[in-house]
Amino acid sequence: MNKFAIGCGGIVLILVFVLVIAALAGVGMYNRLVRSQQAVDAQWAQVQNVYQRRADLIPNLVNTVQGAANFEKSTLTEITNARASVGRVQLDPNKAPTDAAQLEEFQRAQGQLSNALSRLLVVSERYPELKANQNFLTLQAQLEGSENRIAVERNKFNEVVQSYNTQVRSFPTNVFGGMFGFTPRPYFNAQPGAEKAPTVNFNFGSPAPSAAATASP
Amino acid sequence: MQMSILHERSTINSRVKRIALLFALVAINAHAAEVIPPKPAAYFNDYAGVVSKEAASRFNEQLAQFERETSNQVVVAIFPKMESSSDIADYAQRVAQSWGIGSKAQRNGVAVLVFTQDHKMSIQVGYGLEGALPDATAYDIRANHITPHFRSGDYEGGLAEGIDLIFKAIRGEYKGDGATVRERRTNRNGGGGGLVFLILFVIVMISIFRARKRGYRYSGSRGPYVSWWPSGGSGGGWSSGSGGGGFSGFSGGGGSFGGGGSSGGW
Repeated sequence: MNKFAIGCGGIVLILVFVLVIAALAGVGMYNRLVRSQQAVDAQWAQVQNVYQRRADLIPNLVNTVQGAANFEKSTLTEITNARASVGRVQLDPNKAPTDAAQLEEFQRAQGQLSNALSRLLVVSERYPELKANQNFLTLQAQLEGSENRIAVERNKFNEVVQSYNTQVRSFPTNVFGGMFGFTPRPYFNAQPGAEKAPTVNFNFGSPAPSAAATASP
Repeated sequence: MQMSILHERSTINSRVKRIALLFALVAINAHAAEVIPPKPAAYFNDYAGVVSKEAASRFNEQLAQFERETSNQVVVAIFPKMESSSDIADYAQRVAQSWGIGSKAQRNGVAVLVFTQDHKMSIQVGYGLEGALPDATAYDIRANHITPHFRSGDYEGGLAEGIDLIFKAIRGEYKGDGATVRERRTNRNGGGGGLVFLILFVIVMISIFRARKRGYRYSGSRGPYVSWWPSGGSGGGWSSGSGGGGFSGFSGGGGSFGGGGSSGGW
């Protein structure tokens, strides 16, 4: 009798133990999903942040460049337009896009702005007075930094999205995650134009090191 | 007959070896596109041999002392060549990030990377110092104070001026506690390791004790518990590496970088 009771108790204990383990695993899974979703959203905020940083430089840049004697009007209007279209594609800065088309549109608008900016910098090479303008040089350094930051944050975004998506799509979690509405998130994809932007190097007049050496006193 | 079989086997063996070697080479080649150098052991690392020994150790102590005072980690590394086909700014950011310069919480690291044969250099600024050392300042330090010296081959002078200006920009942003990450880690591990060991010891003793007690009823099938011992014991044994002596070694604090700073050629 006593032995039987102990046996029953043992089975119940084992069952409870299994249930507790399962519940803990479920909670752990959920929490991990939440954590990586948070990481994606946080990184998205960071991406928005660096794009905003670049956008904020533009009025000052345009003003400085306008000061240069008869600077090409078309380049400037192109920038202003691109900046405006970027403003129109505003996405929620606190939540990473769930829709691939949305992200695509955002990326296209930003890519246009990147292209317009690099064109401006190329055109500005033709204006020696700009190259001697300290304010312009500072803006260029900031713009370069912004482009680098955008590249870095986009990469980081893709990394966190990848780890989140892997979690959402892999086996026990996908069943479980579906119930709680965890869906895969879109990535930034490398666009031929957008990705090229950071490679514009603002080393004035130094296509070859020798040229740079002679140009500098 | 037997000889020939042996011979054959050895040629097969060598062929397998050759194929394996080939694969290994291919694997290395695939990675040859970019090599992230391992974490440096010092604050000032001259892998290209362009700075005198005395100056290098002086710089190193200066940088270590700066971390003690301000907690900001500034690491300088001079390489002969950039082992990557990426843009210098991208590559330098990845190197700085992987070295974890600066503390994890404050992210207050600065990396100065110089590639002598490529005539390129980069100042990478950790997130936490982007305010104190903005891109425009980094650009000014690089283009107007460091690279003019580099052009005439004066690496020592350029770096001295650069380090000085970086210090000026970021001093006051954070406060140090008189020790570097390496020094703190060494101290903490001395005490912490002992504590971990003690706790594990107590757990193991309790489990042995329990196993013994139960052993009478369950015919001693609690053996595995006792086999914790070796792994538990080795866990307590992470005693610290050497960190003392006249030379101040560098350990990254896990800082991160977002591409701030300035990069370019000379």
